[in-house]
Order: sequence, then C-alpha cells, then structure tokens
Amino acid sequence: MTLKLFRVGVAALALTAAAPAAMAADLVIGLRAGPDSIDPHWSTLGSQAEALRHVFDTLVDVDETLQLKPGLAVSWEPVDDTTWDFKLREGVKFHDGSDFTAEDAKFSIERIPAVTGPMPMTLYTKYVESVEVIDDYTLRVHTKGIAPALPNDFTRLFVVPSEIGMDARNEEFNSGEAAIGTGPYKFVSWQPKGDMVLSRNADYWGEAPAWDNVTRREIPDDAARVAALRSGQVDMINYVPASDVIAMENNSDVELFKADSIYILNIAPSVKDEEPQPIKVNGQEVDGNPLQDLRVRKAMDLAINRDVLVNVVLEGLGTPATQLMPEGFFGYSDKLEARPYDLEQAKALLTEAGYPDGFEIDFTCTNNRVPGDAVVCEALAQMWSRLGLTVNAQALNGTVFFPAAAREEYTMTMSAWGTLTGEAAYTYGALVHTKDAEKGFGNFNRTGYSNPEFDRVFGEGTQTLDEDARRGLYEEASVIAMEDRALIPTVILQSVWAAKSGLVDFLPRTDQETRAYAITPAE
Amino acid sequence: MTGFLLTRLAQAVLVVFAMSVLVFVGVYAIGNPIDVLIDPGATQAIREQLIRQYGLDLPLWQQYVTFLSNVAQGDLGRSMVYNVSVTSLVFSRLPATLELVLVSVTLATVIGIPAGLWAGYRPESWGAKAIMALSVLGFSVPTFWIGMLLIMGFAVELGWLPSGGRGPEATVFGITTSLATGKGWAHVILPALNLSLFKMGLLIRLTRAGMVEAMRTDYVKFARAQGLPDRQIVLRHVLPNISIPIVTVFGLELGSTLAFAVVTESVFNWPGVGKLIIDSILQLDRPVMVSYLIFVVILFVMINLAVDLIQARLDPRIRLKGGR
Repeated sequence: MTLKLFRVGVAALALTAAAPAAMAADLVIGLRAGPDSIDPHWSTLGSQAEALRHVFDTLVDVDETLQLKPGLAVSWEPVDDTTWDFKLREGVKFHDGSDFTAEDAKFSIERIPAVTGPMPMTLYTKYVESVEVIDDYTLRVHTKGIAPALPNDFTRLFVVPSEIGMDARNEEFNSGEAAIGTGPYKFVSWQPKGDMVLSRNADYWGEAPAWDNVTRREIPDDAARVAALRSGQVDMINYVPASDVIAMENNSDVELFKADSIYILNIAPSVKDEEPQPIKVNGQEVDGNPLQDLRVRKAMDLAINRDVLVNVVLEGLGTPATQLMPEGFFGYSDKLEARPYDLEQAKALLTEAGYPDGFEIDFTCTNNRVPGDAVVCEALAQMWSRLGLTVNAQALNGTVFFPAAAREEYTMTMSAWGTLTGEAAYTYGALVHTKDAEKGFGNFNRTGYSNPEFDRVFGEGTQTLDEDARRGLYEEASVIAMEDRALIPTVILQSVWAAKSGLVDFLPRTDQETRAYAITPAE
Repeated sequence: MTGFLLTRLAQAVLVVFAMSVLVFVGVYAIGNPIDVLIDPGATQAIREQLIRQYGLDLPLWQQYVTFLSNVAQGDLGRSMVYNVSVTSLVFSRLPATLELVLVSVTLATVIGIPAGLWAGYRPESWGAKAIMALSVLGFSVPTFWIGMLLIMGFAVELGWLPSGGRGPEATVFGITTSLATGKGWAHVILPALNLSLFKMGLLIRLTRAGMVEAMRTDYVKFARAQGLPDRQIVLRHVLPNISIPIVTVFGLELGSTLAFAVVTESVFNWPGVGKLIIDSILQLDRPVMVSYLIFVVILFVMINLAVDLIQARLDPRIRLKGGR
C-alpha cells in the first residue's frame, strides 16, 4: 500500500517535472542471452543478431512475421538470372558522422569471409559471386547460379563503414573503437555475458527511438531473470518460464506479452534401410526398418494428441503445428489441415503394416534447447505407448545430442527447428531435401529421407525468380513432405515477455527478438 | 624447505598435464565442438572448412601437441565462442568471483568459529543446540533453494537489497573493486551469505567436535586446576590445538568456492568465472575449459601449499618433520 502511494507520488512528480518535452526515460531489459562479440560479422547466433541490430542496420529488414521490408536498401530487383540490383537509402549517416554509401555495403560483404567464426556468416553470402558498385546508391550483386533467396540472406547482412579497414577484429569492436553503425542506438559498452549499454542515435534515419539509454542485461538463469523483474531491477524480461506465467497472470504489477515463435518441435524418424538403434518385437530385432513404412509413420502421427500437448503439457504456451513453419511464412500451405488424433485408426494402420502388438523403439530428444522439449518428449512416449509401442525416451543435453545426431546415431529424434529466414528454402533445403553435398542441400537431413518428387518441386522453386511462381512451388513441396511424414511436426512453441505494468507498448515478434527501438513507453 | 617446495611444484606440473589430457580426451569423446556451435543453415562445405580452420580434423595427439607448444609460449589460446584470448576472458571475470568468495569466507569464519567454540564449550545448553540445528540446515539445504528464498524475501518482498548482479566499482589503493562502494556491498551481501552458509555449517561442526574432545583432555584439566580462566584456556590452549583440521578443510573449501561458485553465481547473476566455465562446457569451448581447469589446479596446489605452511606454523611436530 505504502509502496503504491509512493509510486503515485513519483509519477505525479515526474508529470510536473516533464513539461512539454518528450518523456526522457531509460529502459533496462533482462535477457536470457546476448551477443558473443560486438563484431556483427562474427557469428550467426540469433541473440548476436538481435543485440547488434540496435547498432548496425541490415540491407533488408524483416517485420514481426519475418516478411521482408526495406532496411538500408529501399528496393531490390533481379536484373537477370544471376544479377540483383539493390537501391540504397540516401542521406543515412554512420554514428561517426560519415555518409553511408554502396562502398560500405560492398566492404561489409567482402569482410565476412575474413573475420567470421565457428558460426560462420558466410552462410548469408554463399550465393554472392562478386559485388559491384554502380554508383553511390546502387549496389549490384552477381550470384552463383540463380539465387531467389538473396534478399532473405541479406536480412542478416549488417553494414559497417569501410573506413574501419580489414584489420578490425573482435577486440576493436568490443572496445567500441570499430563499433560504428547506422542503427537506432549507439554503442556505449559491453561485457561478455554482462550488460550491453546503448544510447539513442538522435540522427537515426528511421522512426526515432523512444528511450535515451538502453541497458540489455544478460540474465541466463530463468528464476534470476524473473526475480530481477519482480524486484524492479529490470523493466522488462524475455523468455518468461512457463512455471511463472500463471503466477504472473494473477499479478497486477506485471504485464505479459505472448506470441507464437518460429520454433517447432519436430519428430525425425530415420527411414534408412538399417535403423541406427535396433527396433525390436518381443526382444528380437526386426528385419528391415519399420519406420520406412508410411503406414507406421502415419500411425505414430495419428496417436499424437496435440491439444493435450499444448494445453496440458505446455500449459497453454503453444499451438498445434500442421507443418514445419508457422502460418504466414513464405511457402506455408493452407491445404494442410489440423492433424487429427485418432487412436483407433492409428492401431488399424499399425496392424495393417504388420505390427499388431507394436514394437520397441528408442526416442531421443534435447532437454535444454527450448522451453518444454523434455516434457513434450516424455508425453509423446506415453502417447505412443497407448498405441502399443514400447518407447525408450531419453532427453539429452544439446552438447551430447547434436554431435551424436550429426553422426546419425539415433533412430528417432525430436528437436526444435526454427525457420529463421521466414521462407521455406531455409528449412526444406537443410532438413527435407536428399543429402547432396554438391548442391549444398540436406545437411541436416539425418533421417535419410529422399523423395525425388519433393526434390524436383523444391529444386525448381529454388531456381525460380518469380515470387508468386516460387511461392506456389514451395507450397506444393510443403504438402509432399507432410503427406510423406518426412518429419512429424508437433507443436509451435510460444514465447512470453513480461514488463512492469503500464510501462511499455510492445508488439511481440515471431523471431523472439526483443528490439528496444520497437518498444515504446505506454500511452 | 626448498626441497619441499620443489616437490610440490613438480606435483603441480604433473597434475596440470594429467588434467589437460583428461579434458582433451573428454571433449574429444563428447564430440566435435563444431556440431554444437554451427548454424543450422550451414552447408557441408562450410562445416568442413571450419573443422580444418580450427584444426579439428587432425588426430587428437597432434591437436594436443599444438596446444602444448602454444602453452609453452605462454599462449593459452583464443575462445572459440568469443574470439578473445582466454587469459583476458578469465581475468576479466576473476575479480568478481574473488570479491564474492572473500566476503563469504570471512562471514563463514567470523560467525562459524565462535559459534562452534560456544557449542563445544556448553554442548548441553539451548544455544548450542540451536546452533547445531542451524548448521545442519546450512549444509543440507541446497544452495540454489536458499538463494531463491533470500531473493524472494530480501529483494522481491521487502525490496531492501537488489536481486542480483554486481554493483558499481571504485578504485581504492589501486585496487578496482565493487567492495569500495555502498551499492557494491548491497549487491554482494545476499550472494555472499548464500555461499557462506555451507561453509559456516561445516566450520561450526568441525570446531564443536574438536572443542568437545579437547575440553576432556588432561591439559585442559591441568589448566583449570591451575586456576586459569576458561576464556584463556579456550583461546590460548584449545583453539590452536584444534585448528589443524579446521585449516585443512578451510583451505579445501576456499579452493572449491573460488573455482565452483557457479550455483550462487547463476542464481544471483553474479558475473564471475563459475558462470563462464559452465557456459564454455555447454558450448564445448575447449580452449576456455582446458585453460580454466589448469588455472583451478594451480589454485588448489597453491592453497594446499599455504595450508601446509600454516600447519607447520601451528604444530611444531609437523614443522620438525618437514625440516628433516
């Protein structure tokens, strides 16, 4: 009570003090993860891009649902099959006062291979053959083959001034010496795993940022982050753990913001001729791989009750998934309907496939990559045991899981996948297409799935510059992969932010980024 | 004495070697760090190029030899995650951990030893029983849980102290520390208390056990018969005699607190080395893991050496043996 009175008093005081000028204010955000470096070309890590976006702009930007919008480039179009022209924004200044021109964009692209680390940014320049400066505000990119996804790749292309030279490395960026961008905030300081301090860029070309000073504080521990908000040390936090969401909903001091994320928990059944971990009936290893039979995969899909997963297991923080991407993404098919739960039909299919009494199978998942991965894993094992299967579910730390998964040691796995670029090529090229080192496809296809029809339709899409035609092909590919149960999507995970009540307005983003310049003081 | 020191140093070098081999083999057995770090969208070509770039395609012994020759030149390597030198990474976070440990060990000693002495001096009194009950709580209740309770009580409900993080630093006598500012103390007090509870419980029990035993011995009876006041008997005669196990355990605890204060550091978001090492393990950042563990080995060897020297000071028998 006294505290409330005190707050009212402070608010009244603030109102009288802040006359006509805009309310000057600072924002402290508690985040689960931050950058590994201030060099924007060091790593593709999501939390790295999220943090550095405040200081550096990209050529192409993305909206809340990851669809493209202009950034430092105002427009882009293919000139011919292997050439793209980007028209750049005029009158943009770097934080040191110098002008942004096409030279800086060219320099940024060429700098990447020289400085990038073990999460290489070259991923986003892999289609670039060469870069040409036509004039100060026109950049021409020659591509290796037809590259319709080039603008999508450039959503992570941060622009640094060419004046910093090729020798600037992480140390120069971390100290602030080379941390010069065109972004809405200027870099002040950063400590690894600590605070990143930013101050407003008054000359920003876009919408003026609302806060004078922003501190992005890394608090990886969930409970510590929640405590920091509740004790008033931070104004806002991301990744509110599910266990705290219910308590916070009943607490009038905090306000929650929820949205679907890009992350979907997918089941990956190995369809190789010989499964890595044996599948057994009555203790005897079966001949061949039962998972190769589409009826078996369909049966397992039908036995999943996604409503229970969402409402009970994830306590409401999810949405049933119909495919590998959320709605609205480039290549999402409307033809795929909600997946039914039908145990009878599932049992019938399993009997038809020759396993009336089920089989024993190993099922391996991650337990620390995304909220809920371990509990969904256990729940799935139980759902399949109703179908008559004996499931040895094991949820492992990502440190153990990913290297073993890369060696293809698991028969059936579940892990989260996010379509970071907002379009299907990213996901289908990595997960679903036949493994093909030459074309650079199927690097994460650990199931051995290979469907020539899918490869053809998807491959045609990647060679089609016309946007509508490409969209149609990707949608068709979505249907083929999902009918085939190449992977079985279960739930789209939701992410939750919390802030002090009545402090901020914030539109949650699918990519889970917390952008300080998109947060405004509440009306 | 010089011989004793040299033996200790030789032992330390051996342990450091063994440690680095273990970590190398261990990380190698878990898997390729690139598979943990790499971006999901990376192509096979990018992956292979990276593995070559970090020398992870070489046989293990060759990677180890490269590492050793770098260490011999004083280069512990660069973190794969942060791309800054491991030495600067560890030393940028060490002051925070040192502060935390210093305050918590002081708390544990200043409260734990007198409480233990009292509990051993009057074992049947109510006060002694209360102290013993609390000491059991101190080392049986998990640290993270007590930490959460402290935060809920003092930071969230009462709002007296901050819930985590380190306070602003100031420089006093050439040392930059957050202990030089009032805000710094407000930040350090909860995590230090949390970290000290286990050690406090341990010290109380050790001191009490020694005290109870010593009070029954003949020299105490003689001292009493001589008419010496109890205060003098306890502080002059009993305390030095029961100090040896206390100093040994204190040394071990100091080392493990410095190296592995990770639970408290996580709960209170304290920017120390414990959090750094856990993150490095999760990301298989091998250069950081190896260097940090080597640092910990050296730390333990040094603390044990200090403990040995103090014991020699306390007990003439040890001193005479060592001097032979």
